[in-house]
Amino acid sequence: MNKKYDAIIIGAGVIGSPIAYELSKMGYKTLNVDKFHDAGEGSTAGSCAIVRASYSTADGVAMAYEGFKYWLDWENYLDNVTDEKGLARYMNTGSILIKSQGHKWQKVQENYEEVGVQYEEWNNDKIKEMVPVADLHEFWPVRRPEDPKFFDEPTNEVEGALFCPEGGDVTDPALSAHNIMRAAEAKGAEFIFNAEVVDVRSEDGRVTGITLKDGTQIDAGIVVNVAGPHSFLINKMAEGVWEGCNIKTKALRHEVMYCPAPEEYDYLNEGYHMSDGDIGCYVRPEVGNTFLIGSEDPDCDSQEWVDPDEFYEGKGGHGRDNVLTEEQWKAQCYRLGKRIPTLQVPNQPKGVVDLYDCSDDWIPIYDKSDLPGFYMAIGTSGNQYKNAPVVGRMMAELIDACEKGLDHDNEPFQYKFKYIDRSTDVGFFSRKREINYNSSFSVNG
Amino acid sequence: MQIYVCVKHVPDSSAVITVLGDNQIDENVIFLLNPYDEHAVTEAVKIKNSLPDSEVIAVCLGKDDAEKTLRSALAMGADRGILVVSDAPHESIEIARVLKTVMAQDGIPGLIITGKESIDAKGMQTMFRIGALFDFPVATNVIRLDIEGDIAIVDSELSGGAVDTYEMSLPCVIGAGRGLNTPKYPTFPDVVKSKKKVVKKIALAELDIGTSKADMWIVGLEPLVLVRKPKEITGDTDEVAREVIRILREEAKVI
Amino acid sequence: MKNIGIIIELDEGKIKEINFGMITLARAPDSDLFAFVLDADVTAVREDLESYGITKIVDVALASDQRNNPAVRAKAIANGIKEYGIGAVFGLSTATGKDLLPRIAAQLEAPLVMDCFTVDLENNLAWTSRYSGKTSASIKVTGDIVVFGVRPNAVEPVKGQVSSRILKFDGSRIVSRGFKFVKRAAGDTSVKISLAEADVIISGGRGMKNGDNFSILSKCAEKLNGAVGASRAAVDSGWVPYSMQVGLTGEKVSPRVYIGCGISGSIQHFAGMKTSGLIIAINTDKHASLMADCDYSVLADVLELIPEITRHLENG
Repeated sequence: MNKKYDAIIIGAGVIGSPIAYELSKMGYKTLNVDKFHDAGEGSTAGSCAIVRASYSTADGVAMAYEGFKYWLDWENYLDNVTDEKGLARYMNTGSILIKSQGHKWQKVQENYEEVGVQYEEWNNDKIKEMVPVADLHEFWPVRRPEDPKFFDEPTNEVEGALFCPEGGDVTDPALSAHNIMRAAEAKGAEFIFNAEVVDVRSEDGRVTGITLKDGTQIDAGIVVNVAGPHSFLINKMAEGVWEGCNIKTKALRHEVMYCPAPEEYDYLNEGYHMSDGDIGCYVRPEVGNTFLIGSEDPDCDSQEWVDPDEFYEGKGGHGRDNVLTEEQWKAQCYRLGKRIPTLQVPNQPKGVVDLYDCSDDWIPIYDKSDLPGFYMAIGTSGNQYKNAPVVGRMMAELIDACEKGLDHDNEPFQYKFKYIDRSTDVGFFSRKREINYNSSFSVNG
Repeated sequence: MQIYVCVKHVPDSSAVITVLGDNQIDENVIFLLNPYDEHAVTEAVKIKNSLPDSEVIAVCLGKDDAEKTLRSALAMGADRGILVVSDAPHESIEIARVLKTVMAQDGIPGLIITGKESIDAKGMQTMFRIGALFDFPVATNVIRLDIEGDIAIVDSELSGGAVDTYEMSLPCVIGAGRGLNTPKYPTFPDVVKSKKKVVKKIALAELDIGTSKADMWIVGLEPLVLVRKPKEITGDTDEVAREVIRILREEAKVI
Repeated sequence: MKNIGIIIELDEGKIKEINFGMITLARAPDSDLFAFVLDADVTAVREDLESYGITKIVDVALASDQRNNPAVRAKAIANGIKEYGIGAVFGLSTATGKDLLPRIAAQLEAPLVMDCFTVDLENNLAWTSRYSGKTSASIKVTGDIVVFGVRPNAVEPVKGQVSSRILKFDGSRIVSRGFKFVKRAAGDTSVKISLAEADVIISGGRGMKNGDNFSILSKCAEKLNGAVGASRAAVDSGWVPYSMQVGLTGEKVSPRVYIGCGISGSIQHFAGMKTSGLIIAINTDKHASLMADCDYSVLADVLELIPEITRHLENG
């Protein structure tokens, strides 16, 4: 006899775990299966775990702002569960968005107004006062160090910044997924690890369960794909699902750098998260007084789509075994080195390389599928970490509504936020949508 | 004074090394300035800044690609670089002869600094060979270097944290240890400045390095870190402790 | 027949145990084994040396003010090597040897392989590690004289009784031009070996429970001449400084032995130490991923086991 659950969730990262948590709270008997050895050890572990509200759509801003409330109230959200590994901590640094040609900051500002996000406008003098190490010249457009123009002397200055006092990051993203797993377990959810799904089974046009690599079959009338960079492989296993998506996902290799802050600058304690489209970077403080430098994927940088299984096995990809590439190390560090001219860049690259689960328009898919009972929360492409608890709740309600007969494709589910007085049209995240050209097509969302 | 810094282009310590054929590695990994040489460059630049009319010249023997390592040294403050280009692998007897020849040809060394070892070969001997070829005194694992007139006063770290102090007449050769300084890495403005600096390339064939009867070369390479299959150690605390010590002594040979 | 030289390392006039494995490795049929003993009472070490096959003991005397001068010591031995027609020289790859052997090899322009695990003297081959301990290299040496620095404890000592002759070698007139020994400062135990250089690293994670417990690891590391590292969790908890962090966001290390104590082994930690030679994982949680990614796993409480290991090390 196969074991049977109400819902199987494929993936136990920072999005799969809260879906299990919320479904369990609603009374569903859930099982998460994950190919790695613990919660959050896949691409969640490589996340920069930044919590900021700057998105180019009002719904994006609203969801991020809603998510922020969960991180602030972490113990309560987890229903005061204990985790033997300790709890992840949200660090409020405040968040600077440099006004530059690299961002649709005017749009972000409108959205802040609409949603009611607290913010301040800073001129360059104010930025300089708050970030004394900054050089506020305009370096746009973003280039690569291989391009001789990269070294051109700048002439203009940037136009100031938008500053949100609410914003920061979560220390240890893998731990945050682990925390949610423990909270879910306290509500009856089960998790198994080192378990690779090789088939999603269906009968008579409805999903019936999954098969693991060792041949084990597990049954459930609901299967949710939250497989991160492996999401497209899972969609292909379920009958008609891949074909039924107008928007597809794939795995993008991405590097994040760690570069020590200038000695005289206590970035860890006095620094801010900063999105700087003018240099195509975002940064946040990291333990060891270090700048964590992420890339906003400027057009001049090439994109490397990879096979996630080969990547995690240490094969394939640029710079074998998925170590950082020297070219990208220099590109990202020198870009930040323009903004912070006292930043010393070590010769040895240091940082993290992991995968994004990236959709065609960099907007996630939170949806049902063409196979009844099969759902997906995929394409979370490097900017959904902060939304994870919100997505957990939203997906659980969507699944519950669909199982109770809602025709979501024709009458999209409206999700009512818990903290902010606003609803969001979940149809915005439909698999059937046309590519959304309002998207930033980057981590900026 | 002309201060020469001998640098080596080595695979990153964290690179995954794949053996190709009998005695080669797959060089499609990050190569960079040998970390011990970073201390050497930093120290040389510090001395240069305290001595008027001095110059720091970084010299290297390597493939064409090693120019990157010289560029790193220039960004860290060396004034110019010399790359002796050779595609063949070289061991320290030859390396020392090449570097000696190229330094003697370029100028009059007042001080030669290099890392106490390279992280790839760990031969720990090139600086002594350079010293012997020039007949200059040598100290290794140097953690303090003061120049007073034509004397170098150095502290050299021995085992167990003991420290010897030596006085060496200049010119001399210094093997930089980790404790010598904190490497000063280049800022972006340093990188911009260094782009104008010159790296002179000399083909190895153009140098007369003389001949030595002695030689050494790698005939075989085998990977050491293979797939791990964990073995469980069981027993009471005393038995487990004894077994761990046995492993450290007999297998790892670190006791 | 080849004359083989062996440089004996003494500790306050007494012979160190680690010499015997080296002598065992250097023994070859029909060869004379010359043991170089600097500035010591050779009669006190004669019996030990004979029991391992030394046939000639070279009693090197230095001028009293030059005893601590490494350049003079090296020159004296190099002169002795030439004097006695020695073709192969063995020394230990210890901190002393790392200074002495290259000086000798440079002076003789002889090939030198440091940190050998073994040597095939007949074919002039030596094996050592290359590329941060990730490969084993066999190195061919040629020349009238060849020099090998032997990794301590690499070879099991085997006795082979012979009788020896003592040869007096006067090095009292040897001086070093331009190199003067000034003073020796005793070891400062507060000088800690760095993570990047340590042969042995003992790292603590969440299982250490608090910062004070890291002193348990320090005591053990001291006995092993190793360094103490930490996982990100321990650093994030404020137990130990960031400089001790091993992993992608801290120091990437490749020691010969890595002992992970109460470390679950997140992907980012593992990526920073996976090239270690031998990995021992100690944890009370048998599901910790490091327990599956190691060479030896121990299901135990580190807070009990490590002090026990330290106690055994202290008692020899």
